Amino acid sequence: MMTSWNETEQIEAHLTGRLDTGDSLVFEARLLLEPELGDKVLWQQKTYTIIQHYSRRQLKKEIEAVHQKLFTQPQHASFSQKIRRLFTSK
Amino acid sequence: MPAISNFESLPAMREELFIALYKKAFPAVAKYVSRMGGSFDEAKDVFHDALVAYYEKMIEAKLTADNDTAYLVGIAKNLWLKRYRAESRQVPLDNFDIDMDEEEHPSESRLLHFLETAGKKCMELLRGFYYDQLPLNDIATQFGFSGVRSATVQKYKCLEKVRETIKEKALTYDDFME
Repeated sequence: MMTSWNETEQIEAHLTGRLDTGDSLVFEARLLLEPELGDKVLWQQKTYTIIQHYSRRQLKKEIEAVHQKLFTQPQHASFSQKIRRLFTSK
Repeated sequence: MPAISNFESLPAMREELFIALYKKAFPAVAKYVSRMGGSFDEAKDVFHDALVAYYEKMIEAKLTADNDTAYLVGIAKNLWLKRYRAESRQVPLDNFDIDMDEEEHPSESRLLHFLETAGKKCMELLRGFYYDQLPLNDIATQFGFSGVRSATVQKYKCLEKVRETIKEKALTYDDFME
């Protein structure tokens, strides 16, 4: 019997082309017989995209925090003033 | 470039990396944007996206320490031209191979917000695995699993849980990802 996380692992292997020939044939056959498996494959593909977008969003928050540090903390004052001057002279 | 392997301090290492890159590359970007008539906020905007692109390339191990600054400044300049100059002058500038400015769908934004609040632990695990591409034993240590095996099981359980959440939300957000 296949546990559900095991199936999730198989879907990933299918999507990344890591199933061996035998497992791949079995998986293709299951796709024909079980429409809900095809459904899971589609949603799992979307999930990887969402994970990437989520991760980028978190990374951008970290970058924003660095920006705030550099442009507010006194120990970075010479750096931030140098940058600010580029935009105030006009 | 320090290798990202000491997991305990990963966020701290990232912060250190971004501060160093900011100091090395941002002055050149700011100078360029300023000379072209752009604003501080525009320089910041394109630089942040350039840092994300840089980080992703670094994970794929496609960058060496030597070309750090040139690469970052190059991406930022291209992004600025594409975003702020193209719209005013209608110059076709579409041959840059970075896809940093794909628009987020409003419903995707809601979904991400939901996942940030309700599914944070799983999302962070999946981020570590798929985006940061950390070794499983680092992930096990960071998230307090007994070993690589249980980290793997948990990763797939999270993937499944998030998959089901996305599917469920898609049915309630009517404009979701067509």
